Amino acid sequence: MIPQKPHPNWKAGQNAGMTRRSFLRGSAVFASGLAALAASLSPLRELDDFPSVEQFAQKYYKELTPAEMAKVLKRIEDEVERQYGLRPHVKDLKPADGVEFVYALNLTRCVGCRKCVHACVAENNQSRTPEIQYIRVLRLPHGSLDLEKAEHDYHPESVPEKGYFYMPVQCQQCKNPPCVKVCPVHATWQETDGITVIDYDWCIGCRYCEAACPYWARRFNFAKPSVPKDRLNLNMAYLGNRPRPRGVMEKCHFCLQRTRAGRYPACVEVCPVGARKFGNILDPNSEVAYILRTKRVFIQLKEELGTSPRFFYYFDV
Amino acid sequence: MNDKPRVPGVLFILTLVFIVLTVSFSRRKWMEPEPLKAIALVDPDLVQPTTMRTSYVQLVRMQADLSDFDCYACHEKNKPPTLRFDASNNLVIPKEHLDIVMAHGQHNRNNNCFNCHDEQNLVLLQTRDGRQVKFEDSPRLCGSCHGPTYRDWEGGAHGRTGGYWKKEAGETKRQICVDCHNPHSPKIPPRTPLPPPHPLRQADQARMFQEFRQPEGVAQTSSLPYRGFPIRRCDQAVTTGRLEVGDAAGWKPALRSLGSPLAAAAAER
Repeated sequence: MIPQKPHPNWKAGQNAGMTRRSFLRGSAVFASGLAALAASLSPLRELDDFPSVEQFAQKYYKELTPAEMAKVLKRIEDEVERQYGLRPHVKDLKPADGVEFVYALNLTRCVGCRKCVHACVAENNQSRTPEIQYIRVLRLPHGSLDLEKAEHDYHPESVPEKGYFYMPVQCQQCKNPPCVKVCPVHATWQETDGITVIDYDWCIGCRYCEAACPYWARRFNFAKPSVPKDRLNLNMAYLGNRPRPRGVMEKCHFCLQRTRAGRYPACVEVCPVGARKFGNILDPNSEVAYILRTKRVFIQLKEELGTSPRFFYYFDV
Repeated sequence: MNDKPRVPGVLFILTLVFIVLTVSFSRRKWMEPEPLKAIALVDPDLVQPTTMRTSYVQLVRMQADLSDFDCYACHEKNKPPTLRFDASNNLVIPKEHLDIVMAHGQHNRNNNCFNCHDEQNLVLLQTRDGRQVKFEDSPRLCGSCHGPTYRDWEGGAHGRTGGYWKKEAGETKRQICVDCHNPHSPKIPPRTPLPPPHPLRQADQARMFQEFRQPEGVAQTSSLPYRGFPIRRCDQAVTTGRLEVGDAAGWKPALRSLGSPLAAAAAER
């Protein structure tokens, strides 16, 4: 090599600094590192349930004006139409004055056919895979209410089976609900007609309420709920049976799209033996008022926990 | 060059590692969870709020063909039919009425047609104290013996209610006794239950499918393959639902019967 004059900036004893070779090596590592990072983040490309801007910027339910609520309902109708190809009718039904719902279930009559379970699934657009069912029917042996002996997996040829009775369990709409107490964002609250509701757009999916509920009434959407298009119930309510996104809680809400319009819930209507009774306890002429007046033995599940459920199980002759 | 001889080697290995990672993350099959196996759907016919039987009163309301119910098409007016009893004092059902099974009351207590039917006028019913009751008013006849149940039915505790709980919003549909109870064999017949819940985790589902065995003494009606699940219809037919791979149109269970004629009829529908 011909000895050359050193660069004016070069100081004696220093290294050569960045050369083209070292720059190229460094950038090769950097670029491949960036590529590996991008590739590892690639599952994010498949996120399809990202909330829209309107949904993200939506105000708390109780602060929405009627005009804003109308926009929210329209947004939901558009989303359902985009996903299922059918346009639903989403309403925001408010609780009526002088109405408090109470449920009475006759354990002598229930035969354990599970029609209520599947009628509820059909009415409330619940996910079929993975399966979500708000109602769980327990089979208990005669003689005690020991829930340790309960079986929910019974599948005999015919029901009722000798020696057993059946107890369907769903959200008890407690007067003193533990799920409402633990929700960190107030996405769930109890309304004046007794129904504990969930705002699916506000729920963050932490599942504290699921842990707090003693009846395992609350279900979580671990995956995007799948409802077949031909089974979609298009009569929807904002706090009720509109399709839920992934990652939110849901539970029985006494079919509020039906009950706040004056109809019976789906489980009451479908029960073939008339074991389920529903109505307004503040109306002395209602069926549930008659039952609570005349029947003698009532069971509230796990009443020692102080949740004070609105669900009364009773036996009959 | 001698002070940092390993740097180019390290950089080279790092580059190779990053390229391998890029390639393996891009081919994501090994990272994806197993797709969920579709759970069989339940036939919507099974969750309709129809009554367990169609009573005469319902047939009248539907304006159906009532020629079967014209008593005096066969019987003579003013000539009460005679009942025949066999040696052990059991009622012998005439061959024209063999579709009737008399099972009202234990130990054959209610062993006489004219405990409820009026032999002088076959289009009416009668109570034990001699009152005549029209067919549309049959709950009064039932209540003349089953008083507490009748009171409960009037109050709303017994029987089915549908429609609207709010009277101002719409009609409350109450069923009468014979809409559910066959007056000749009133005991509610047993039925096949709908499928039990599926566990959330696929591993538990697999175990549940393989352990799907009937309790002792009950006939095993189907040998359950891993991917099927018996969908039991309430008319006692057993079908196995197999699933086609879900497409954008939703899940479509393909029902194939296991030889029961009822299931074959259901599959044809």
